[in-house]
Amino acid sequence: MLTCDQYHMPTSLADALVLWQDAPEGTQLVAGATDILPWAREGRAGDVHLPAMIDLSRVPELDGYTLDDGRIRLGANVVYQQFLTDEKLRALLPCMPYCSVWFADDQIREQATLAGNIVNASPAADGTPPMLALNGELEIARLENDDIARRNIAIDDFIKGPGTTDLKPGEIVTAVICDTLEGYGGSFQKVGQRRSLVISSVCAVACIKLDEATGKVADIRLALGGISPVPLRLTKTEQLLTGKRLTREMIVEAARQPADLVASRTRREYRRVVVRGFVEAAIEDALADCGAAVPDAETRETADV
Amino acid sequence: MSEQTPTDLQLEFQINGRNMKRRAQPHQRLLDFIRDDLALTGAKEGCGAGECGTCSVFVDGKLVKSCLMPVAKANGTKIETIEGLAGWGGDLTPVQKAFHKTGASQCGYCIPGMVMAATSALRENPKADIEEIKERLGGNICRCTGYTKIFEAVEMARDVLSGEANAAVLEADGAGKSYIGNNVRRLDAPSKVAGRLRYAGDMVMPGMLHMQVLRSPHAHALIKSIDTSEAENLPGVACVITADDVPGEDGFGVFVHDQPIMARGRVRYVGEAIAAVTADDMLTAVRAASLIKVEYEPIAAVFDSEEAMQNGAPVVHDYAPDNIVKHIPIRKGDVEQGFADADLVVEQSYDTQAVEHAYLEPEAGIAYVDHDDVVTVVSPSQNITHHRHMLAKIIDRPINKVRFIMSPVGGGFGGKEDMIYQGMLALSAMKTGAPVRLVYTREESIISTAKRHPARITYKMGLKQDGRITAVSFRMISDGGAYGLSTEGVMRKAAILACGPYNIPNVQIDTYGVYTNNTPSGAFRTFGAMQSQFATESHMDICAEKLGLDPFEFRRINMMQNGAVTHTQQQLGSVSIGRVLEAAEKASRWETGPVSMRGQERADLGGDDTRPPCTLGARFRKPGDDDRQEVA
Repeated sequence: MLTCDQYHMPTSLADALVLWQDAPEGTQLVAGATDILPWAREGRAGDVHLPAMIDLSRVPELDGYTLDDGRIRLGANVVYQQFLTDEKLRALLPCMPYCSVWFADDQIREQATLAGNIVNASPAADGTPPMLALNGELEIARLENDDIARRNIAIDDFIKGPGTTDLKPGEIVTAVICDTLEGYGGSFQKVGQRRSLVISSVCAVACIKLDEATGKVADIRLALGGISPVPLRLTKTEQLLTGKRLTREMIVEAARQPADLVASRTRREYRRVVVRGFVEAAIEDALADCGAAVPDAETRETADV
Repeated sequence: MSEQTPTDLQLEFQINGRNMKRRAQPHQRLLDFIRDDLALTGAKEGCGAGECGTCSVFVDGKLVKSCLMPVAKANGTKIETIEGLAGWGGDLTPVQKAFHKTGASQCGYCIPGMVMAATSALRENPKADIEEIKERLGGNICRCTGYTKIFEAVEMARDVLSGEANAAVLEADGAGKSYIGNNVRRLDAPSKVAGRLRYAGDMVMPGMLHMQVLRSPHAHALIKSIDTSEAENLPGVACVITADDVPGEDGFGVFVHDQPIMARGRVRYVGEAIAAVTADDMLTAVRAASLIKVEYEPIAAVFDSEEAMQNGAPVVHDYAPDNIVKHIPIRKGDVEQGFADADLVVEQSYDTQAVEHAYLEPEAGIAYVDHDDVVTVVSPSQNITHHRHMLAKIIDRPINKVRFIMSPVGGGFGGKEDMIYQGMLALSAMKTGAPVRLVYTREESIISTAKRHPARITYKMGLKQDGRITAVSFRMISDGGAYGLSTEGVMRKAAILACGPYNIPNVQIDTYGVYTNNTPSGAFRTFGAMQSQFATESHMDICAEKLGLDPFEFRRINMMQNGAVTHTQQQLGSVSIGRVLEAAEKASRWETGPVSMRGQERADLGGDDTRPPCTLGARFRKPGDDDRQEVA
């Protein structure tokens, strides 16, 4: 059971930063709050008492998104459901509708934010691998002599390990900034024990763009989650495929490599098999998503899981 | 925990069209607030962790899980609950009527949430197809229906709302001359689809107190001492009870009464009740329970049923030094001769696992002592008369001073046959003179209540080349867990049904229910038959393959006929296995022949009457897309 003495809902970033800076030890920042309530239950954290909770969902500076030169600034209050319902976001971030539809369920997606998912730094977070693939960074605000100061940090550098980040006392994540990939095909693969509301055992994301004239890979982005303490971008595999005309053998070969990256504490062999199948499927689904032919789809090797 | 006084929230909101201004505690969830403060109990708590969807409500038009929403987030919003869908006293909505019509509500506990999710799906997309409906209902769990009737209802409501179907389809069909074979609507469905039906956890009484149970972290330990003084002294606590407070003969169970209502001197499984606190509110009860000091001395425990049967294994109950709850032996004919006569003997072992019933309604109950000194317990008990007799002995009252009232059961499946908490409730009501309510959390329900018996079955079958079975030896060892509960009956049923509907001349059956320090096993749909049928039918398939026979043919050679005598000497007037096999063969589009003859191409899969695997992304699937985003 979660209890607290104070529940704050600041209505400006400045107020939120003041509250957070002066908050008593143990105070928690929340956005959607969909993680903290299940966490404070028997079998996980048990009964938890917090001096205060600071809810950021009514801070207007964290709402909505803006575009700037091939990048998008997603306010920290952008919830997962928006990646499904907002046509513009769907076109700009082609892997995110697939990621979103696999994330929890419609109801939780109305509350849960992408920024919150990243800040929790779970190795199984669904939102982090896509953001790695999109060269994501976080915008972070803090108070400096009563003024709001900001810094940006790559998500790769921000996440230090399971549940550990570079967030410093007094800091609040205000936005996620990443590439927009209009015209790319996107895909997301996920396996867990149930269709909805499941935490990934493994997840994989792909975004792909083919050169219209040559049919060769103009750009490809690949990342994996759930297989190591932090999600991973598959830069080597990306390099292997960039500039190539994809064949069945090439996809199979590309999918073979990342299995060696599996460093989870549990079910390693299983995850290695899944990773292979997922990288293959992610590439194929992304190709299909941008309307390209999938090489020899009918002979696709199905991972034996 | 902090001693600081919480700062109440001042909330202004609209609920079901009515403006309200209320105070709330800062930690309250929206679900607590609408159920406890506003007495709107249509939204249920099935899991408290966002997994089941029974708590679904609309906030500013968006469906959310109210168990995951701090109430502060609802300030300034418009909330709509199941009670508000049709308006106060209004007619049911088409969605609710469709749930009524298709029989989508069974126990009804998930149904308010399902109706909300269905309503949301059709509000978001009035043209949603079946795949999209399934996807949008993905956050809601039902345990009774298998979802089919629920999906039918949503499609029916969609068609009525869009004008594609006449609203008359929502009304009752004429029963004709007979109800049999006709679609008859459930009498109790309107109360369920409207969220009006009150389950035990929805009931309140004036002056009602709340109970929290302290449970054992040990699988097997002696209780050296229990110090409840600090808990009792906490302001707001009405009483703390332990086994010492039981006035009568302490013990319950469906067959053997081996389980005290709270651990007596010794705990036998993780999650066993040690003490129960009754207080003015839940928070105080929870805090008080954490102040109880229990001194345990862990002792050797046993977690494997076969190990528990060995000499020298830790003894779980002193009355049963061999750890056997029940052994059911059945003998027919001469098994040794049957095996000697066989051309082939096939031996194989089969394991089944413990299974949780996972009814959407966690255990709950309310107890009070009425004006005539009648100790009354209201709970979703599946066995109230037996509970009443046991409780009378436990609290040492004459039977006419003990009453059990069965509240609506939000799913039972056998899991609510055990009097696992009603004794604590009765005792606390007697001690405090006030109504006392206990509502399990999902975690408590899983950790402390009975599961399906895990079984290890060794099967040996003697066969003639022509497919006749000459003998069967069936040995089943079942983990009964720490207490007897229904184990005896389950072992009996497993033994009675052990060889399936087959005529076997020589039979040797032994089923054993064994005590271990695992969570107790009890009644669960099929009551032991599932375990034995899993083994029998798997074994039949394996034997058919070894004999090179079609598995249907092999079963027909051995099936019982009208007038057959079972291995327990019961004569069967009519036997339907022949018709069952015929129907199964037809419906499965079975390709005749032994399984080893089958090629890679199977024509029996994926017919018009099968549903493709679940997919996601229905709402943004492009025209011409195949189902690429498959569940891995």
